[in-house]
Order: sequence, then C-alpha cells, then structure tokens
Amino acid sequence: MSGYIIPAIFIAIFCYAKFKKVNPYDTFVKGAKKAIPLAVDIFPFIATIMIAVALLRESGLTAMLANAVSPIFNLLGIPTQLVELVLLRPFTGSGSYALLNDVLLQYGADSYISRCACVILGCSETIFYVTAVYTSGTKIKKLLYAIPVALICAVVGAIIACLLCKII
Amino acid sequence: MVVGSLIALLCTTPENALSSMLNASAEALTLSIELCGVYAVWLGVLELVEESGLAQKLARLLRPFIKKVFKIDDVEAEKYIALNMSANMLGLGNASTPLGIKAMKRLDDGSGVANYAVIMLIVINATSIQLLPSTIIGLRANAGSLSPADIVLPTLISTFCTFALGIMLVKLFGKLHKKWRQRGKK
Repeated sequence: MSGYIIPAIFIAIFCYAKFKKVNPYDTFVKGAKKAIPLAVDIFPFIATIMIAVALLRESGLTAMLANAVSPIFNLLGIPTQLVELVLLRPFTGSGSYALLNDVLLQYGADSYISRCACVILGCSETIFYVTAVYTSGTKIKKLLYAIPVALICAVVGAIIACLLCKII
Repeated sequence: MVVGSLIALLCTTPENALSSMLNASAEALTLSIELCGVYAVWLGVLELVEESGLAQKLARLLRPFIKKVFKIDDVEAEKYIALNMSANMLGLGNASTPLGIKAMKRLDDGSGVANYAVIMLIVINATSIQLLPSTIIGLRANAGSLSPADIVLPTLISTFCTFALGIMLVKLFGKLHKKWRQRGKK
C-alpha cells in the first residue's frame, strides 16, 4: 500500500506542472543540479560525526556509559538491553538501525524488548546529525537550548515507548 | 568525547584507532555520494513543486500553524518549512534535509546565535512526526515477526507526544531565555 504513495505523488506533481505550463524536464534538471554543491557542503559534517561515533563504539565507551546510566534508565522504565540504543540514537541513523537489527535477532522480533526498540527508533531522530547538517549552511554557532530540549524529548519518547509497549 | 574515546582505545586496542577513523570517514564519503543521488531526485521534484506553484498552495494550508509556532512572517521561509514538515511526515528523511537547510538559511539572522525560529525548526526536525516507519517494519518482517506492523500505533502515539512536548518546551525555554536576558541587562 505504502509503495503506491510516492509514485502517485510524483505523477500528480508532474501532471500538475505540465498543466501549469512548466517544462518538467528543464525544471527537474535545474533542481537536480543543486544536489552536488549540497552534498559537498554537508560532507565534512557527516564525516566528523561518523568518525566520532566510530571511535565511541570501537573504544567501548558507549557500552561503559550504558552500564553506568542503566540504573537511572531502569528507574524510568527503560530496559537495560535498550540503553545503548537510546544513547547512540541521537548520533547515528545507520548505526542505530544496525543495533536494532541485533536486538531483533537476539531477542526475537515479537518480544517486548524488540517492540520497545522499534517504537523508540520510530519516534526519535538523529538529533546531532540533523542539527549539524541543518546549520551547515548558516553562520549559527550558538544553539542555546535547542539540543537539551531535543534530548529531553528523546528520553521522554523512549519512556513513553516502553510504557505503551506494555499496554498495547 | 572523542578524546575520551581515544584514551580508552589507548588502554585497549590502540592499533584500531586510526583504522576505525579512516573506515568511518570512507563510509561518510560513500553516504554523501549516495545522498547526492537522493538529493538530485528530490531537488528535481522540489523544483517542479516550486515552479508549478504547488509549494505556495501547501504553505498557505499550513501557514496558520507555522505562523503561530515559529512566530515568523516570511512567506519564503514558511514555504520551505511547510515542505520540510510534509516530507518528514511521509517518512522521507532524506527529502526533508535539503528543504530544512533552505528554511534554515532563510531564518538565520547572521548573528551567530540561533534565534527562536531556528531552534524551533531544529527541535521539530529532531522530534519529527513520522506517520509510517517503513524501514523499521521491514527490518521486523525480516527478523520473522508475525505482525510486523503492530508497532505502528504505539509509534504514532509516542511520536505525537514528543512532537507536542518539543514545541511546548521550546516555547517555555524561549520565554525563560527572554526573561533571563532582560534581567541580565538590568
């Protein structure tokens, strides 16, 4: 079902553009041209974050940190097995999906732990990645309270996720 | 953080430090090239959406909400925010990125400090509403789940909760920040 949505939207857009007497080919080319400078602009930010994450995981620091804070997370209702996922999620999308896959295979796709992990990933975002990439084209250096608010939301989201998985 | 990791590595497996950094950097390059391809598709479509006037229509639809939440009066920025949020809701994270960057460039006042609207945009994207977590459902199905889609409802509820919480917290912190700065001036 969801497979139809995107192509349908594309067809609608192309037809609408044609109807509005906009040349689809020329316009598409004009837009696509902007992809290369954009990718060049954001590459250094992606590289830095990915290098930092690789070091964090390789050194075992995330595992250590996860052990250290898991009592607090347990109190909030987040199972120990998911602490590392909650900690890594703000930094890396691909990394947290790899972690989710490990959880799914280890505990079984329909277990409580796995369902929690899925909901946690579904309701959160790669906060640091998004912030770095979004501000890459601007002069903004001081973000004030943006990151703390986003992190609070992520933790609250994880708590709600674990609660909901118990009920539903 | 990076220094801490390096120190930890020195105590365990120092020979892995450089290799993992190089690996990550190479991975980042692959990802950027992949993203470049993805962006070409989406920016092409986006150009059509803009030129045909669809973007303006969508923005007009979402304008009351955006005006209230972001406290801005900039038609151009409103348009990009509307498109950015629509792409997010459809679960097209990679399509919403270039739109978010465009909106960010419009909202930036060049002072080097993030203003209220910038922070709101970051938080809304960091707590993004996703109506259909298709990647996760796919992973679950692959892992042999009997009903891979039964996480959709809890995901929807929690994603709406974090979204609402994010907006409220930004409003609250924005007020506190304003008060704090005024007190600082006295």
